[in-house]
Amino acid sequence: MSGEPDGDVLRRFARGDERAFEQLFRQFEVEVYGWILRIVRDRSGAEDVLVEAFWRAFRGRAQFDPARSFGAWMRRIATNAALDHLRALKRTRAWPSTVDALAAPAGPDRDTNEAIALAFRRLPADLQIVAALALLEEQPYADIADALGVPEGTVKSRVFRATRMLREELARLGVRP
Amino acid sequence: MQHDDEHLREFLKAALPSMRSERPSRDVWPLIAARTSARPSWSLADWSAAAVVAGALLLFPKWFWFLAYHL
Repeated sequence: MSGEPDGDVLRRFARGDERAFEQLFRQFEVEVYGWILRIVRDRSGAEDVLVEAFWRAFRGRAQFDPARSFGAWMRRIATNAALDHLRALKRTRAWPSTVDALAAPAGPDRDTNEAIALAFRRLPADLQIVAALALLEEQPYADIADALGVPEGTVKSRVFRATRMLREELARLGVRP
Repeated sequence: MQHDDEHLREFLKAALPSMRSERPSRDVWPLIAARTSARPSWSLADWSAAAVVAGALLLFPKWFWFLAYHL
């Protein structure tokens, strides 16, 4: 995580100073974008979520306590924005093209990759997030729990449920791990 | 069971590898700045409420002090 910004910058941000906000954006954009990208797994979508997340941060600046970590606060906002993005995609079914955005050419073969990506997308958004972060990105459960604002035990149970659902969905699609 | 889970994890990772961390493809700050500097626009509900208050004042001017106290 980026080093914590100067306390004065954080206080100015909390008061609505746009220069301080830009300074924070420049310091954290790559880190926040990387986190969002791990969740939504689509570069264009991740940029939209990045804009939304920083906009939400600015709107909610009065709730930010300058004595606490800006990076952790921002990551939680970004996670919620990414979750809303995934839910919206599920509602509209406006998914990016499967293999280009979600999967990579590596792996057993293209059809299998498509099926795995499809099974992944069929998970409920809250399970998809933990599955992406825990199973694919190998992020520590504690970090995921912090970003989602839930206890670590909840993350573990969601990973368990996601694993079970993925296994069932893959079986339905005729893919055997 | 744990072995099965580990196998599934490796299988998934082979098809959906970790996303490489990188910079956004464009500078999105102007989009954020445009939102932060935009003046909050009135929603339909805001306009409706204003119209109701204005109409009430035209019909019942004596309500002015009552509304001034409560709004």
